[in-house]
Amino acid sequence: MKLLNLTNRYYIAIAVGLLLVSSLFLAYRVLYLVDQEISEHMLYEKQLIERQLKNQKQLQRIPITLGDKIHIVPIDKFTTFKVQVKDTLMADAFEGIRLPFRIMTYEQQINKEAYRITLTHRLTENESLFYGIIFSVILVAVDIIACFYFLNRWFSSKIWRPFYRAINILKNFDLQHGNKILFQRSTVDEFNTLNAELTRLTGKVARDYRNLKEFTENMSHETQTPLAIIRSKLELLLQSENLTDEQVGHIRSILDSVSRLSKMNKSLILLTRIENEQYASEELMALGPVLIKHLKDLDLFISSRDLKLETQINEDINLRINPHLAEILITNLLSNAIKYNIPGGVLRVELTREYLRIANSGKPLTLPGEQVFERFKRGDILDSMGLGLAIVKKICDHCHCFIEYGFKSELHSFTVYFQPQKVVAPIRETILLK
Amino acid sequence: MKVLIVEDETDLLQSIMAFLKESGMNCEQAVNLAEAIEKINTHTFDCIVLDIGLPDGNGLRLIEELQKKEHQTGIVIVSARNALDDRLKGLNIGADDYITKPFYMPELSARIKSVVRRRSSQGKNEIIFHELRVFPEEMLMYINDKSVSLTRKEHELLMYMLSNQSKVLTKESIAEHLWGDHADMADSFDFIYSHIKNLRKKITDNGGRDYLKSVYGVGYKFSAE
Repeated sequence: MKLLNLTNRYYIAIAVGLLLVSSLFLAYRVLYLVDQEISEHMLYEKQLIERQLKNQKQLQRIPITLGDKIHIVPIDKFTTFKVQVKDTLMADAFEGIRLPFRIMTYEQQINKEAYRITLTHRLTENESLFYGIIFSVILVAVDIIACFYFLNRWFSSKIWRPFYRAINILKNFDLQHGNKILFQRSTVDEFNTLNAELTRLTGKVARDYRNLKEFTENMSHETQTPLAIIRSKLELLLQSENLTDEQVGHIRSILDSVSRLSKMNKSLILLTRIENEQYASEELMALGPVLIKHLKDLDLFISSRDLKLETQINEDINLRINPHLAEILITNLLSNAIKYNIPGGVLRVELTREYLRIANSGKPLTLPGEQVFERFKRGDILDSMGLGLAIVKKICDHCHCFIEYGFKSELHSFTVYFQPQKVVAPIRETILLK
Repeated sequence: MKVLIVEDETDLLQSIMAFLKESGMNCEQAVNLAEAIEKINTHTFDCIVLDIGLPDGNGLRLIEELQKKEHQTGIVIVSARNALDDRLKGLNIGADDYITKPFYMPELSARIKSVVRRRSSQGKNEIIFHELRVFPEEMLMYINDKSVSLTRKEHELLMYMLSNQSKVLTKESIAEHLWGDHADMADSFDFIYSHIKNLRKKITDNGGRDYLKSVYGVGYKFSAE
């Protein structure tokens, strides 16, 4: 949910609640005041009548009754001072429906004569007044809320614009390119602080990343010379006479470790180089012949494992790719498929206009499928470094190819999908068309 | 054969010198570019082993210096960087071969010999070892003038071993020589064994002596002893 909608939602909820309570309060208050007013008015009339009765010996007929009905009835004897007030419904003469009235009845003794006086005052219809008030309040409230909602949206979109801009910039931030982030200055201090912090942070992250990459590359390079020295000394040592079997064993295991270290270094250097865009140049390359050449090189290893080689290679496929990377991609995938195959298994190589798929028989992996491309993830395979597929993935990312791993009917498959615009149409067809 | 080794890491330099001297090469050394330039101006070499990462400049400059005069010197570049552009640049401006650290000594020795062989155009550059005669470009060998055909890998193996006579060759170095990037295939050692067995059989069946010796736990050795 957007921040704006969230705040709006709260505002509206609170506004509705407040308005509901206040409109109820308002309605009751108004009704109460009207009621009070009527009572006061009737008491005033009572005094008026009293004065008139006192001053004029005889009651005059009131020519027109506009408001209240007044009944003055002489009685024999004054009995009480009590003023009786009651509200009741009576049929109205004009409207013909029952309406609320307040009736005040009292007795009064004036100049030794007693009267019973009844004042009848028409009341407003409470209910319609009540609903009237509520309705007006709701109308006003809806107007205010709607105005507020749209204004808020408008203001917010204006106010938050630098924020969304900053988010967009961050989305496009690519650590590998490490381009410096530039935010526009905003009039809002908070956003400027945020942008300044983001600039500082991304700068630091990019710097750290660069340092790490440089470190990896330097480290790997600098290690090669000492490794070369170790290996050369061991080889010299091996040439000497009179070595015991035990000594030879030690030398062998050191040599093995040197080889492993050196291979790991080379892989890491390659990964770093790809990341550093050092293989940017691309050429049109026929993948079919390269595949066939490598399959021939590996023929010995394929036949020694009794692998069933199934190829479906379209030799007309030309791909725009860095040739060095293409070679590494193919070698790694092929040797992977041979190395981890089972005796008598299947090695399937497919090259079509859309993809290159290399599949091999094997047991299911012990690690989750999506992790096969991670560095140093190798499942339970012992003599592997876990860098071969990481390199494959890196190359695919670099060439904007999409690589997919799948395991179906005892077959591990790696499929590299090409970018259609990088695949060049078979030359033969083009000639035929002319 | 006269070889100049240009390498700033003295430990590595000493190893290379020792190994190549034992292989019967006449070695000179230089630890920086200036010294190397001085040496090529005063002596002629059959081959130069050149580390391109030198303290006083890029080793490729030495090749440029060398190109200024007529020369028959083979050049093998040694680099810690397996960089494609370095490799191409080196080969483009006149280097004959390129090897990356850490390398196997017998591999370096074989490369030097191969480069020198290619450079010297004196007729057929056959390699003679007692009753054996092998041509680098032909997939066959002669045993007492009787020709015996070889497979490509057997030929490569034989050439490698002939370049490193009387040297203990580890299985790893042989595997890398024969299969390069595919050397880490798990069963490559078994193939070396079968290639050696076949090669030995071809030599002995045709009247040659068994020069291919197994060295327990390490690898093999080609020697007449």
